[in-house]
Amino acid sequence: MDSDTPKQHLQHRQAEEQTTEQQQTTGQQAGLSFDSVEELLRYDNLQTAPPPAIAERLKVSLEQEPKPKRSWWQRFFAGRASE
Amino acid sequence: MPAPVKYDDPVSAPEMTTAPPAAPATGPWQTLYERHSRYVYYLALRTVGDPTLAEDITHDVFLKAYRHLNQFRGQSDVRTWLYRITINHCQNVQRTWQKRNIISTGDPQALDAVAANADSPLRVLEIKELGQRIQKTLDALPDEYRLLLLLVADENLSYQEIASLTEQSSDAVRGKLHRARRAFTLEFQKSS
Repeated sequence: MDSDTPKQHLQHRQAEEQTTEQQQTTGQQAGLSFDSVEELLRYDNLQTAPPPAIAERLKVSLEQEPKPKRSWWQRFFAGRASE
Repeated sequence: MPAPVKYDDPVSAPEMTTAPPAAPATGPWQTLYERHSRYVYYLALRTVGDPTLAEDITHDVFLKAYRHLNQFRGQSDVRTWLYRITINHCQNVQRTWQKRNIISTGDPQALDAVAANADSPLRVLEIKELGQRIQKTLDALPDEYRLLLLLVADENLSYQEIASLTEQSSDAVRGKLHRARRAFTLEFQKSS
């Protein structure tokens, strides 16, 4: 049931129209503003993901690689752990 | 700028185990790749300006890092170590890629002579082609300015680390960065 008086109804309509108008203005002016070059580049970096193909290629390449030698401290602690 | 955390071993930093990678493409190496590949790829992409070349470089950087794991002395951050490999690799690629040398037209003195309002915010209305616009702007800069801007954009790097990566003093980095920002802003505004 619509209990609005004609005056209230008009006010609601005006408010709705105002909101739509504001949204349209915001949409037209949509864009970004960066305070510094660094900020712009950081944003660009976030938009630039490395292609998944690199990880796949790397996986294949690394599987063909010989296992790297362990450093002295890794061998030392591995030896102690097995004692 | 926060002081970077140093790690003694790239694959143990920070949540990785101290054991060497059992399977190359899994575990610690997977984490290492996931954490740093975005930054390595971005530096490569914006340096050479070609996605395919950037893919190759990123692949080669991580492969080289894996091969030279024992040479990592822990005196720098893992990211810095990977950046060093990336910068060297990009320079090698650029030396052998003639086309790139023709495109690069940046002249530091000419750019310094032009007064750009570096304090004004960089406004972007068209997000869709922002990457291309940034690439075009970076391409117009001298190699040194481009590299400094790309490095300083990584908040993990200190001025000292940037100085070390570019083989100059921190004061020189600060001075050149000021000019690099102005040059970038000028070129970016021109491309709008």
